Amino acid sequence: MINVQDIRDTARDLLAKGEVRAVIGWRAGSRGMAAEPCVVTKPEEADSLVWDPTCYHNLALQLVNDRKDLVHSKKTATAPIGIVAKGCDARAIVVLLQEHYFKREDVYIIGVSCENSGVLDERKVKAQVGGFAPSAAAFDGDNFSVKTAKGDKKLAGREVMADRCLECRTPFPKENNTAFGDDKTGREFDAQFAALARFEANDEAARWEFWQRQFDRCIRCFACRSVCPMCFCDECVVDSIEMKIAPETTAEEKANRIRWIERSAVRSENATYHMTRALHLAGRCVDCGECERVCPVNIPLRLLNTKMEREAREAFGFDPGASIGGPSLVASFRDDDPGEFIR
Amino acid sequence: MSEKRTGVFVCHCGNNIAATVDVKKVAETMAQEGTVAFSKDYVYMCSDPGQSSVIEAIKEHRLDSVVVSCCSPNLHEGTFRENAERAGISGFTCEIANIREQCAWVHKDRTEATEKAIKISRSAIRRVAGNKKLDPIAVPVTRRAMVIGGGIAGIQAALDMANAGLDVVLVEKLATIGGHILQLSETFPTLDCSQCILSPKMVEVSRHPKIKLLTYSEVKEVSGSVGNFEVKILKKPTFVDAETCKLCDDCAQVCPQVVSNEHDLGLTARRAIHIPFAQAIPASYTLDEEACLGLNPIRCGKCKDVCEAGAINYDMRPETITENVGAIVVATGFDLYPQEKILEYGAGNVADVLDGLQFERLCSASGPTQGHVKRPSDRTEPKEVVFIQCVGSRDPAQHCAYCSKICCMYTAKHARLYKHHVPDGKAYVFYIDIRSGGKNYEEFVQRAMEEDETVYLRGRVSKLHRTKDGKVRVMGVDTLTGQNVEIDADMVVLALAMQPSQGTADAARTLKIGRDKDGFLAEAHPKLKPVESVTGGIYLAGCAQGPKDIPETVSQASAAASKVLALLSKPTLSHAPTIATVRNSHCTGCEMCVTACPYDAIHLENGKAVVNEVLCEGCGSCSATCLRAAISVRNTSPMQVHEMIEACLSL
Repeated sequence: MINVQDIRDTARDLLAKGEVRAVIGWRAGSRGMAAEPCVVTKPEEADSLVWDPTCYHNLALQLVNDRKDLVHSKKTATAPIGIVAKGCDARAIVVLLQEHYFKREDVYIIGVSCENSGVLDERKVKAQVGGFAPSAAAFDGDNFSVKTAKGDKKLAGREVMADRCLECRTPFPKENNTAFGDDKTGREFDAQFAALARFEANDEAARWEFWQRQFDRCIRCFACRSVCPMCFCDECVVDSIEMKIAPETTAEEKANRIRWIERSAVRSENATYHMTRALHLAGRCVDCGECERVCPVNIPLRLLNTKMEREAREAFGFDPGASIGGPSLVASFRDDDPGEFIR
Repeated sequence: MSEKRTGVFVCHCGNNIAATVDVKKVAETMAQEGTVAFSKDYVYMCSDPGQSSVIEAIKEHRLDSVVVSCCSPNLHEGTFRENAERAGISGFTCEIANIREQCAWVHKDRTEATEKAIKISRSAIRRVAGNKKLDPIAVPVTRRAMVIGGGIAGIQAALDMANAGLDVVLVEKLATIGGHILQLSETFPTLDCSQCILSPKMVEVSRHPKIKLLTYSEVKEVSGSVGNFEVKILKKPTFVDAETCKLCDDCAQVCPQVVSNEHDLGLTARRAIHIPFAQAIPASYTLDEEACLGLNPIRCGKCKDVCEAGAINYDMRPETITENVGAIVVATGFDLYPQEKILEYGAGNVADVLDGLQFERLCSASGPTQGHVKRPSDRTEPKEVVFIQCVGSRDPAQHCAYCSKICCMYTAKHARLYKHHVPDGKAYVFYIDIRSGGKNYEEFVQRAMEEDETVYLRGRVSKLHRTKDGKVRVMGVDTLTGQNVEIDADMVVLALAMQPSQGTADAARTLKIGRDKDGFLAEAHPKLKPVESVTGGIYLAGCAQGPKDIPETVSQASAAASKVLALLSKPTLSHAPTIATVRNSHCTGCEMCVTACPYDAIHLENGKAVVNEVLCEGCGSCSATCLRAAISVRNTSPMQVHEMIEACLSL
């Protein structure tokens, strides 16, 4: 079990010594039981950091935002930035490092192991406690205890843990500067890709019908894209207009320029958007499950992303976020590639 | 912007296209496209009248761009682009719509095929509407060539190029040039001594003023592209100065370290300091650092003490040499398929079961037995020898699917050589069938059967093992009589498959050239470009490209040399301007394109990708990899691709 005070002490020390300019972490939230991301910049604020099963957010996103801030304000960082990272956060950081979004020495990773838990799925919890949103949650090694308006309640871990955590194989942040908690790599709650396997038991027609329904519902709020640490492009290709505007470009040409995907939230455009996003995440998505969590209309986006992940694993033995030095999925070349069309 | 005026030219290709595609309808439908000003069909667009009609149409109808619906751009893109230039418009405003290989040849239904041909043509029309007039980039070339591999292929290619006046760098991994041919005793079909035919060429190489010979050297890194390669070569230390060495053999006499001799395939031993064989080029001893007792610190030092010429220098260190060349010939040769993998024939653990090259050494006057055929286990003359063909070849289930091509011939040669050495001996050959295509080859095999009384048994050997009385029992079947055959042989020779050498695999990786499914280097076109690799400026010669015999190897080496000479005949090369360009605003500097680029043409400057326009081949790997659409290839912009997709998907 991790003592949260250890995390706070580490953050305070780093800030006091000036080794980091800020620490990204979680603090008690203002909405129900859920923690929320925060950026601690002063040593005395370190005690506001928390670590509990409601630390859902993938904090790698805050690293992306930090770098965007620096670039847009044309500032250079005075010191590295610290970040509290669980297993999936650290994997996302590895992918960002692979893609040279920032340098390893720019980040100080305070790893926290998810050990035998993971994070809660609020929807599952609500269902278990009769629709009342709990105000606090803790994990005792086997069960979650939550505080609700009707008193405390113990919930079995398996029943309320997020799907992604049930399927997670690497709950320990391997890439770290310092880490707390035991390395429970390989702990098993559910088979990897279990949700996907269950879904794929349906026949093709049923699956297509299912996705039509899902994409019909999408309101194109782009929450999935906004919450994803891998969607860090300044201009997303799905918004991109493939035409350079030159002085000689006529008004008619500007009006008729082509967009890859139209902006209206209709089924065909929604489907194209989600499929494009899934393809762009192939070999990059670390299955933190944030897109699925934040979706206001409950589209099971992990089914798309884990499908790509499994394909890449089966075809190329590829494991996203495993190591910084590893090749990226779409840019690596093997001279013994079995595909004859490559040569 | 002025209105686009595209001309569409639909080719019948005789019946190749017209039999399946209604070419008239394609031409008529294309005439209705908004940007098309002229459209016609013709029986052979690539013929002289066909091409002239394109030129006339360009002039008469003031066309600014051309789409030719015909065969693969691999074949005639160059023809029609040049033709467009002749008519006074930019060649890069001409695109090919492939309605033959990608349509007529792969479909049967005429209606559907016509519909597809229309879509392919339409997509090319939409693409060409976005094409820019581009000018080729002129690239200065380095008029030197490199040959990798000093076997017969490499020697021949180097000599041909050097004799034509080109400076050539010949790189060989071993301490001497010569390759496998020097291990052979005699060569088919004339039974002339292999050393006698090769050594004059080796001497010519060593004395040629245009050839720089780098032996005991390996190519480590290649950058650049056609016309301008920069090659980094690691020259390993031989610890002996070739100029001063007098070849007295005193050093080897005192050397205490004895290791297996690779030139004799382990049938003899050599010292750590050795000369591979008497005719080695360069003529010098080499101290094998791995076998030596130790140089750092010096543990023995006897060879240096005894060397009167003072040729031995323990302070030699590996050296990295950089050579700039305009073209490279890869002649890295073959290895025999490892006997260890042939489990049914004892996996190399049964005494007196030899591979073909070992048998060559036994027959060779310079070999371990001075040319008397004696079996290795007890040095007696074998009276019954079984030769097994197709060991590892033509066995897709377990070994190599391909035919190694030379084994029928060399097995016949082995049988004949054996009978010449041991006239009272008996030679058996197990074969699947005899492949003796080639000048005087069939006659050679017939003589093995008739004059030299070799017993040819059609069938496979299922297994073999050593018997108590020191024989090798060979159990096979004669499929012509349907009888099982058991022979207690004194010696067995396996005609092992040829496989690409380790050096070939290494070269493919270093040069980033493709290999085929069997690991041999891939040629650019199996029929029309058999000596070109897929990468410009890199040519193939000899068994690195596929199994072949000596005459074929020599022909291919000369062919590769002539290709290099043609390439480097002018001071500049014209490089296609259809290369990648970067949209800085979208580039995040993720470096994916840098890793994806097979030509090392992209690097990062201030966090943005920069394309070297000479190195870029316009393959589009970067564009396909880029998640941000920040890099695209000229005249294949995402916008054009979008238009093409739309043209294909529209009804």
